[in-house]
Amino acid sequence: MTDLAYLTVAEGAALLRAKKLSPVEWTRALLDRIATVDGHTNAFLTVTADKALAQAKAAETEITKGRSRGPMHGVPYAAKDIFDVEGMATTCHSKIRQAHRATSDAFVIKKLNEAGAVLLGKVALHEFATGGPAFDLPWPPARNPWNRDHHPGGSSSGSGAALAAGLAPAALGTDTGGSVRNPATCCGIIGLKPTYGAISLNGVFPLTHSLDHVGPMTRTVEDNAIFFHTIAGHDPDDPTSTTRAAADTLKDLKTGVKGLRIGLIEHFYTEDAAADPEQVRGIEQAADVLRKLGASVKTIRLSPLSLWTDCNRTIHAAEAYAIHERDLQTRPEDFASLTRNRILAGGFVSAAKYIKAQQLRAALCREFAEAMRDLDAVITLSSLLLPCRIDDQAAVLKTYDQQCRLVFNVTGTPAISVPTGLSASGLPLAMQIAGRAFDEPVIFRIAQAYCEAAKTCISDDPNSQPRIVAAKAAAE
Amino acid sequence: MSDASDIPESTRLLAEQAGLAKALKLFPDGVKAAAERGLKPLGDPPKGHVPTASPAPVFDPAAFEGKK
Repeated sequence: MTDLAYLTVAEGAALLRAKKLSPVEWTRALLDRIATVDGHTNAFLTVTADKALAQAKAAETEITKGRSRGPMHGVPYAAKDIFDVEGMATTCHSKIRQAHRATSDAFVIKKLNEAGAVLLGKVALHEFATGGPAFDLPWPPARNPWNRDHHPGGSSSGSGAALAAGLAPAALGTDTGGSVRNPATCCGIIGLKPTYGAISLNGVFPLTHSLDHVGPMTRTVEDNAIFFHTIAGHDPDDPTSTTRAAADTLKDLKTGVKGLRIGLIEHFYTEDAAADPEQVRGIEQAADVLRKLGASVKTIRLSPLSLWTDCNRTIHAAEAYAIHERDLQTRPEDFASLTRNRILAGGFVSAAKYIKAQQLRAALCREFAEAMRDLDAVITLSSLLLPCRIDDQAAVLKTYDQQCRLVFNVTGTPAISVPTGLSASGLPLAMQIAGRAFDEPVIFRIAQAYCEAAKTCISDDPNSQPRIVAAKAAAE
Repeated sequence: MSDASDIPESTRLLAEQAGLAKALKLFPDGVKAAAERGLKPLGDPPKGHVPTASPAPVFDPAAFEGKK
């Protein structure tokens, strides 16, 4: 039997279907591991052990009777504590929301319940999905399993940490300026920001309405495609939800990249901003791998990274401030300082500047669409820098805009973070693969081909796993 | 850390107008830095950008009629 901690969704589902593994056994193994290891990572805010075991038992009963609800049936997962789960607080990792109780499930939680998935618990985030990691909140920040003194990325920090530490095979995140892909990058896992509208935002506490996305986070590309397919789809209660049928992300997943045309957006990290040489080497080697696999990779140009950043940050500041204005006026001391300082900027964004940013967004979307006319996908870096020390606030602040992720929140088009290896100091490196709106199948296809060839994903091979966690778990 | 008296008058007025007097009193440096970021102008748009272009989120009244 494979180590249950690092069992993938696909492997686990196959074992469940073959009745070689029970959902209860898998869930119990992960709950035990959370109890043993999570003091190291602080990934979980709440562990829903009783609920998880009840859901696992229900799945076991159905599977035993021969009823299958699909590839997530009996599969455990974790949810960023920004998704409503009926009867639970959606704390958003904030003191301000501690007394909250959700009266219904978020749309994606409903979808996962219908799919027979098993909720292990709610995981940490940067407060209100912005401004972390913070040490002045009721819960500690999540730690990077590769080196707990380093930033796990955010804002879906607990989701990234839980996956890398082998505490869950899948986790829900949200992404407004890179919050799925940043922890995916820092923790060496797979994180997809899908097309805007592909996954319902209903029951998810908002950060920035027009830039928010729900995203699946997993350790393998195939698992991500399975998880995405399970939670995507139209939600009549969400006006931003697409009415398109969710694309089949598994059909062509393993058909390779031969003949695909990929643009490399190099100027973001060679001209527009300074990047860590190891990150650059990682994407250069990845481009070579894709060429060897039969794709054509050519350099393309877009507007400078600073313009995309201006656009994203202006919209982000104004919309986030609108959500938190009352609390910032009446109880500013109840926010973490990092969160407060970030959101307060929106109080000084004029209506004219906000509208100009939305107009700029339209221009940048057109520019990207034009660039994609002769391409199937683009690649670029995710983070420009390596994960910094978690207690170095100046370095953390620097990471917010030293990244290429927010570009694809502006365009609303899909982008996935995939690991490209490890730095000399043992911290994960990553790149993004991005594409046209609703072209997730192509993104997954390229990511799958690359990860299969480069073998950069965390697997059941202990050499691919964070060593600190492995050492800690082995010691216990 | 500075106190509220070190904050430029224009920032203080804007903060108070926005109802942020308490934040200004408790966290003057944070409010000052936030004002600098919020008031910073946008960069130059791409060539050919028409400023009268429609905002990105196109308003679709039919989208609200999804559930009866």
